[in-house]
Amino acid sequence: MSYQFDFSSIFRNIGPLLDGLVVTIQLTVVANVIGLTLGFLVALLAISPSRLIRYPTMLYIEFFRCTPALMQIIWFFYCLPILFNVYIPGLAMGILALGLNLVAFNAEAYRAAIQGVPREQVDASVALGLSSFQRTAFVVLPQAFRASLPVLLSNGIGTFQQSALVAVVAIADLMYNGKILATDTYRPIETFTVVALIYFAISFPISQIVEYLERRQAASIA
Amino acid sequence: MTFDFSIPLTYHEALLKGLLNTLQLTGISIALGCVLGFLIALARTSNNRVLRSVSTLYVSLLRGTPLLIQLFWIFFCLPLLLGVEMSNFLSGVIALTLYMGAVSSETFRASFNFVGAEQYQACAALGLPYSVQMVHVVLPQSILRAVPTLLSNCTSLFKESALVSAVGMSDLMHISQIISNRTGHPVEVLTAAAMIYFVIAFPITRAVAAIERRVLDHLSI
Repeated sequence: MSYQFDFSSIFRNIGPLLDGLVVTIQLTVVANVIGLTLGFLVALLAISPSRLIRYPTMLYIEFFRCTPALMQIIWFFYCLPILFNVYIPGLAMGILALGLNLVAFNAEAYRAAIQGVPREQVDASVALGLSSFQRTAFVVLPQAFRASLPVLLSNGIGTFQQSALVAVVAIADLMYNGKILATDTYRPIETFTVVALIYFAISFPISQIVEYLERRQAASIA
Repeated sequence: MTFDFSIPLTYHEALLKGLLNTLQLTGISIALGCVLGFLIALARTSNNRVLRSVSTLYVSLLRGTPLLIQLFWIFFCLPLLLGVEMSNFLSGVIALTLYMGAVSSETFRASFNFVGAEQYQACAALGLPYSVQMVHVVLPQSILRAVPTLLSNCTSLFKESALVSAVGMSDLMHISQIISNRTGHPVEVLTAAAMIYFVIAFPITRAVAAIERRVLDHLSI
């Protein structure tokens, strides 16, 4: 192997990479806020007794879960402005696409957790004479939130990684700036390696927390 | 604003060609990736510390970075490092296989744990060698257990394969983008392509749910 490594060009250009990282984190955080809140509402709609509410919600969830995230992002960028005749800035559009994608995945996580609360507990709350609101707010939801936390967190990391896709539609995130730097400096190996390590340095600790939570839950069930 | 949904139909041959490329790429990567994943899962559960830490590092790295950057790395960097030319199909297959290996290894590892400790002890008591224990006792049970999760790994890979369009491979995603740019009708063309992805991925997710419910209940494992 005759390749000469030279990381100096990366360190001289660390500024754009950090700017990109800020954009990536903005995308991730806002998309996660949307995903955590709206995802919960969508999960409630998805378990509604009314078919008229349930079926369209399921269709939304399944559509976002069964098509590529890249397709969704590109669809939003090309089609939304035509369909609604609006101009939405790139970053907001990226947040919208990633956020709605995460809403679908988080809704599934919430739904599974809510339906995973044992039937006996609901029966017991009825026997104790708790109202429907008390049953939901004090018995079902606290347990469901705890059960869904690891999945919500790993969906969150998933969105952090998926956010790299917005580079394809020229939003100046970490991936996009890395790509430009690689082309400008003719140093793809060093640049892409450093960019990958930045992503890794952020998502790895969170995935360790997820594993810890999962272990603790498994232990508490056993 | 008028929509003309005959446009995707006019270009159906190109879209089908793209779908074929997507399916080929996904199929090959799934087959190779599952084998790789099983081997990595063995390495991660082995008693050898070196094997264990190397395989753990591999899985952490591949699951901790975006697939897009892995794809770019393999597409741009691997040829430089190895000094060889690679077709973009080949680099797509390599990237997706390595990724599928990491993801499915987690599935296999979880399924190994479903084989109870008493079975491992029984194998030891019977004096079965490691290979027999793995191939005849653990493998059949854990593969059945792993099937639903593996199937959803496969749908994810099918969806993630759209990323190869970013390095110019003519898969369904790339071809639909080209058509939508040429014709100036992104709404019709991209929606049609999204429907194609949906029509393939959705039945598989339904199948996963059905398998989880019926088959596993039936086998009571």
